[in-house]
Amino acid sequence: MDFLEFTQQLVNGFSLGSMYALIAIGYTMVYGVLRLINFAHGDIMMVGAFLGYFGMAVLGLPFVAAVLLAVVGSASLGMLTDKVAYKPLRDAPKISLLITAIGISFFLENIFNVLFGGTSRAFPVPEYMEYIINAGGIIFTVASLMVPIVTLMLLAMILWVLYKTKYGMAIRALAFDVNTVNLMGIDANRIIMIVFGMGSALAAVGGIFWAVSYPSVEPMMGVLIGLKAFAAAVVGGIGSVGGAVIGGFIIGFTEVVVVAFLPEYGGYKDAFAFVLLILVLLFKPTGILGINFDKSRF
Amino acid sequence: MRKLTTLATSVALLATVAVAKEIKVGAVMPMSGPLAAYGQVTYEGIEFAHKIQPTLKNGDTIKLILLDNKGDKVETATGTTRLISSDKVVAILGALTSTNTAQTIAIADKKKIPVIASVATNDKLTMKRTFANRVCFTDSFQGEVVANYALKDLGLKTAVVIVDQAQVYSLGLAKAFQKAFKKGGGKIVKKIKITSGDKDFKAVVSQIKRINPDFMFLPLYHPEASMIARQSKQIGLSKPMFSGDGVANQTFIDLGGKSVEGYMFTDFFDYSAPPTQKSKDFIAAYAKETGKNELNSFTALGADTYFLLVDAMNRCSDPSDSICINKEIKASKGFEGVSGVINMDKAGNATRSAVIKVITNGKAVYKTTVNP
Repeated sequence: MDFLEFTQQLVNGFSLGSMYALIAIGYTMVYGVLRLINFAHGDIMMVGAFLGYFGMAVLGLPFVAAVLLAVVGSASLGMLTDKVAYKPLRDAPKISLLITAIGISFFLENIFNVLFGGTSRAFPVPEYMEYIINAGGIIFTVASLMVPIVTLMLLAMILWVLYKTKYGMAIRALAFDVNTVNLMGIDANRIIMIVFGMGSALAAVGGIFWAVSYPSVEPMMGVLIGLKAFAAAVVGGIGSVGGAVIGGFIIGFTEVVVVAFLPEYGGYKDAFAFVLLILVLLFKPTGILGINFDKSRF
Repeated sequence: MRKLTTLATSVALLATVAVAKEIKVGAVMPMSGPLAAYGQVTYEGIEFAHKIQPTLKNGDTIKLILLDNKGDKVETATGTTRLISSDKVVAILGALTSTNTAQTIAIADKKKIPVIASVATNDKLTMKRTFANRVCFTDSFQGEVVANYALKDLGLKTAVVIVDQAQVYSLGLAKAFQKAFKKGGGKIVKKIKITSGDKDFKAVVSQIKRINPDFMFLPLYHPEASMIARQSKQIGLSKPMFSGDGVANQTFIDLGGKSVEGYMFTDFFDYSAPPTQKSKDFIAAYAKETGKNELNSFTALGADTYFLLVDAMNRCSDPSDSICINKEIKASKGFEGVSGVINMDKAGNATRSAVIKVITNGKAVYKTTVNP
């Protein structure tokens, strides 16, 4: 492997990792306020990709409008699942919530399977997204350049909301103690709904970018990506937004490194990503940026 | 008197029911899930063949029972068991992919129910099994066809092989190709393993670009093959690409877009070069029904599994005797199918021709036929 290929692989890992990061942020935020691993998150991402597809292929919207449609649609769906499925279980044991999340995940996968069939559909990628940039032999598309930029922008935005706004303060307070937050006159349910909305909006952006980079959408696309983003969130320290981004990059790089250095084992790249997860859990159960579980998550 | 007439009529009715039996034939196909694109077109062929020939020579009607295996191994196993034990089918068509067909065969073989596979090409599928049959060619033949065509007709000497380690089909075809390619004087410069479900192949294609082989052999299914084609073009890797029958469908071209132009693959059949009178008739009937004459090769093979079964059943004195059906399927010689002339052997394998196609202007265009 020469330097050029090494750099190329680095770029590949960077764009893959930022996609995982985008989705991992949603996992981590919901976990922060609810202590719930929202397994339906990957499927919300799938819904986002599908909405983008319909916006462009069926309604003929321009790309940006389709992204908006996907973001608004997914955020509403996220808030709706919270209202319908999770809110009635606020006082139930955490395991009930977890199982409900898995149920929602299966429901979304199967309803899309019934409605639209399991065959992959080609995502209509706008041409400028596939424009190829050649920087001294390192080749990448506009899309793979945009993904990390958008991820970092959204990360900055989320951090700003969390630390500079009243809502952010409420979200962080909620991560400490739900009962006290209620006593302070804050509507905890509303705040939780906002968190679901934000997380799902990010998932939609992740879904669209995924579909732009790998232009096919199908109902099961969220399963594996969701699992890997979850692994990313845990590696980075679940509950920490910055950690989710770091975790995403680590998982992305791991995959690329395995394929680049051990092509014979390339097929096991997912296994390597999950082995990494197990190792992190063994030596630092809270993840890289994770803090004590009894304290704040953000 | 009236009572007597009623009695007589009911007896007569009962008698007719007893004479014209209904025989059940099972089909296991992925109608949903990631392989649905293949399953649906294949079942279309079975269904259409059934519509053309719904009864046997002796007047018995055939009832098709379809089970969706969602492309999943476990679903295939439970579906097959259900077809045999609760629906009491006399034969099973399908399961499509080699991985899933192996499941169906393992169960049906124990219960002595014949299976006819449409497109499951893995060599091992029919080994040590009495009730396994197929109308397609095997991977060792397909691998040889690709290897010889690349070496002799295209003059390509070095190859990179990308294998999907989660698919029996992919592993078998890769092995067959490697063997034939090496034997013919070619060199495999690298073998890269992937797993179905992957979407990101940038790390794979970046590597191949540096290795710079004469061509790439991708014994994969369409979701992975189309993504590899796209990402290759993105980094400026434009070596010839060759696949087996795993990409022989429209979804592959839809997903690949412009990047699959020039992509070559082996297939069983092409509608523009109908090999038999039966193909011509079938295509005409198909065109009348659907308004298009572009008969997919999987549809043709699906139809052939059904026609071959009916042909074998017609030769049995009791067409619901599974053991006789199995024996007659294996005895089929020079059977004129929709997809070509099929000769079955004792192992249940078909000897038949292959075609090579190349994607030109968003369509799979017939290039040549290779006879065994």
